[in-house]
Amino acid sequence: MHNYKLTRRDFLKASGASLFLSGIPLPGFTSDNPPGNISVIILEGGMDGLTAVPPFGDPNLEKMRSSLIPEDYLKLNSFFGLHPSLKKLSSFMATNNASIVHATSFPYKKRSHFEGQNLVEGGGLSPFSEKTGWLGRSLELAKIPGRALSLDMPLILRGYNENDNFFPANIQNSNKINNNLVDTLSKVHSMYGAKVFQKVKQKSIENLGNIPRDAESLAEYAGNAMSKKGGPIASVIRLDDFDTHASQGDGEGKDHGERLAKVDNVIAAYKRGLGNAWDRSIILTLTEFGRTVAMNGTWGTDHGYGTVGLIAGGSIKKSRVIANWPGLAKNEQFEQRDLMATIDYRSVCAACIEKSLGLDHDLIASQVFFDSKLPRVFDFIFS
Amino acid sequence: MNEQFRIAQKLGLMFRPEETLPEDIKFWAIKQLKAPSPVLGTETVHSEIKPWPKSLQPNLDERAEMMRLHWENTKKRRQKIKGFDTEAARQANDRENRMHKKDMLKFAHQNAYGSDQVRQRLVSFWTNHFTMGGFESRELSSHAMEEGILASFDDSFSDMLYKATTHPAMLMYLDNHISAGPNSNHVRWARSRNEQAGLNDNLGRELLELHTVSPSANYTEDDIRDAAKVLAGWGMDVQGNDIQNLLEQAGTINHWDMYKKNWAEPGSKVVLGKTIYQGKQGLRQLTDFLANHEHTITHLSFKLAEHFVSDEPKQSDVDYIASAWRKNNGSLESIHTAVIERAIESKEPKFQWPMTWLFQVVRLTDSRYFKGWSEVDTYLDRTMETRRIFEELGQSFWVQRQPNGYSSKKEDWMSGEMFERRIRFSESIYNSGGGITEPEVIMDRIGASKETRNLITSLGSSRKNQFIALMCSPELMGLEHA
Repeated sequence: MHNYKLTRRDFLKASGASLFLSGIPLPGFTSDNPPGNISVIILEGGMDGLTAVPPFGDPNLEKMRSSLIPEDYLKLNSFFGLHPSLKKLSSFMATNNASIVHATSFPYKKRSHFEGQNLVEGGGLSPFSEKTGWLGRSLELAKIPGRALSLDMPLILRGYNENDNFFPANIQNSNKINNNLVDTLSKVHSMYGAKVFQKVKQKSIENLGNIPRDAESLAEYAGNAMSKKGGPIASVIRLDDFDTHASQGDGEGKDHGERLAKVDNVIAAYKRGLGNAWDRSIILTLTEFGRTVAMNGTWGTDHGYGTVGLIAGGSIKKSRVIANWPGLAKNEQFEQRDLMATIDYRSVCAACIEKSLGLDHDLIASQVFFDSKLPRVFDFIFS
Repeated sequence: MNEQFRIAQKLGLMFRPEETLPEDIKFWAIKQLKAPSPVLGTETVHSEIKPWPKSLQPNLDERAEMMRLHWENTKKRRQKIKGFDTEAARQANDRENRMHKKDMLKFAHQNAYGSDQVRQRLVSFWTNHFTMGGFESRELSSHAMEEGILASFDDSFSDMLYKATTHPAMLMYLDNHISAGPNSNHVRWARSRNEQAGLNDNLGRELLELHTVSPSANYTEDDIRDAAKVLAGWGMDVQGNDIQNLLEQAGTINHWDMYKKNWAEPGSKVVLGKTIYQGKQGLRQLTDFLANHEHTITHLSFKLAEHFVSDEPKQSDVDYIASAWRKNNGSLESIHTAVIERAIESKEPKFQWPMTWLFQVVRLTDSRYFKGWSEVDTYLDRTMETRRIFEELGQSFWVQRQPNGYSSKKEDWMSGEMFERRIRFSESIYNSGGGITEPEVIMDRIGASKETRNLITSLGSSRKNQFIALMCSPELMGLEHA
């Protein structure tokens, strides 16, 4: 078992975080060069925060879900443990390069994957209200492009035309793409289609070669690309299958444990790719919601509300478990079924943007999340 | 494009060279709804087009038996039982007892060679609507597509909804086969032995959110839970249960009608204000109620218009389809006819899914881009594995994916990588040889626009580049010209 220097829990009252408004914020950087880079790992399906980071100090945990708690969890402090599948994350925590935000969520309470995913990527005030994403809008403000590691362009990165995506192709009987052809095509397509074809050209110039398609290889590639001068400053990777309605399991090698191991490996792969750039990096997870506190009838959990956010990277100088713990007793749960969220995860995303892109919090709050009252939690994570 | 190809692009898969262009395109499209559809394909890549062999189209019982066998053999392999533990035995097990590779190919063949292109497009729309793409359920999704969805086209949406909801592919994909009513005999029995059993709301939730009324109906968690209670007891694991067990639990070996009384929740339930009575008939009562719900009608009329008419359908398009739906009590023929009428009426281009576009290119050029059915397990130098074609397109009905299916809107498919694939596939189809590769011939047949012709002329004399540009032109991709 790891021994941590985390001797105290850092509690955060999201509602009490400081903020004042001072007229119209000035757009652009607070400094000339962006101070860091940012990567988002989207966990599709709704990650169970109580399995990933079990609050074993809460007496109701055992009562509510005894079969879902890993036995050999890694002890973080007197209250929280870490799932044994997150060993690499735990080593980053031990070196003060990772933190956990618990009992957190975007302000979405209706438990639909598709509304929830749209909201946590779009970052608007309600599902389907935005055609662009919060990271895309941030990059547009910073004027530095990011890159998605998928065949499609995820909503979270839309909003800045310079953003690109990457996914290795493997098609028989096709060779090198003819750039004149691509140029001509981009001239006949209407504005948006034209932009997209221009990106195809960029790709063929970069000549990225053959990279395996598993999430780890893609993360390592992304880390490496971000570490280079002039490379992308943000990246997004998607991991699926967190919708553990059945046979969720408890420890390592079980369904949820294997998914967490994947997250763990992706974070470690980012670190390998980033090299020295790790020191100015921030990697955070994002999921549409947490899951029910109690186990359902099929050894799994149903859609819930509060969950956990995992944050790693050299930008973090002190590891913490940041939580304003709501409790797990029935009357402490959200609608008597879910973990309550006491920290608005948008604030956490905003802090990560502030740290990595050097944008002003008020600007992020009003122009990225359209909520000028969004609390600033920067100091709780990065001080 | 001329009117025939404009409509064939929006509502179908383009006319093959041997097909005569219909004089009255609207009449043709509506008539297609009733067109008989033998499954057509080829035995080898380049052999003649003919009906698929019956032996490669097993029914549900036969599929269930194959899944059971596959599972038995896999267990024996894991137990290292002699004769089952070799790589050759593993491959033979997959070859003999796995269907999804053959199903995938059959789907590609039918789309490339079939004579029922409008029906195939509608099948894909509804298959996407009722996504069932899990790991084991992919063995059954093709059956659901043909017998649950296509076979309902002459009936009502209620019928299709019930068939899709009770199909074992759906019941397994959304965990319903293991869900039990909290007060069922099964749960009481499990509790007495200190074992876990109870409700799983996965299918109940998606039935409301995705398949019918949508969140606009403002249902509550109680509605979802009660829908899940109505569903409790439906379905059994297809691969893991022998006949004896099926008969004991559900009194039948028919997987499409498998209701375990002991797992059902006693008492009536209330979903969106409607009282649903206990027992097996309760599910049909619920799906009928949901199928005819006003929110279902508007939700799905919009979704159909978005897929076939325009990325941003006009309210009048949606209203037209919804009104046909109401007037004809959800008759799918009437709904589909209304969709056809509005798609023809609207002159806006409609962006096509990568999968649809690929089939259209293959048909238009008479290419032989897919393996023959006798080659499913053979490596071919010049023809890609079917699974890989779909994978590269980023679209397949046989992969594990989220239950909301694929978006119909172009904004969700616009990316450098997606467009790169269009170029690569165009080249790959050109290089695979055979078929019609002269851009002039294709442009004359479809009545290509002036802009498209100018594009091709501007590219110089490379026929390959011209071919690629034609297939990736705004006109062929269903996008706007500059």
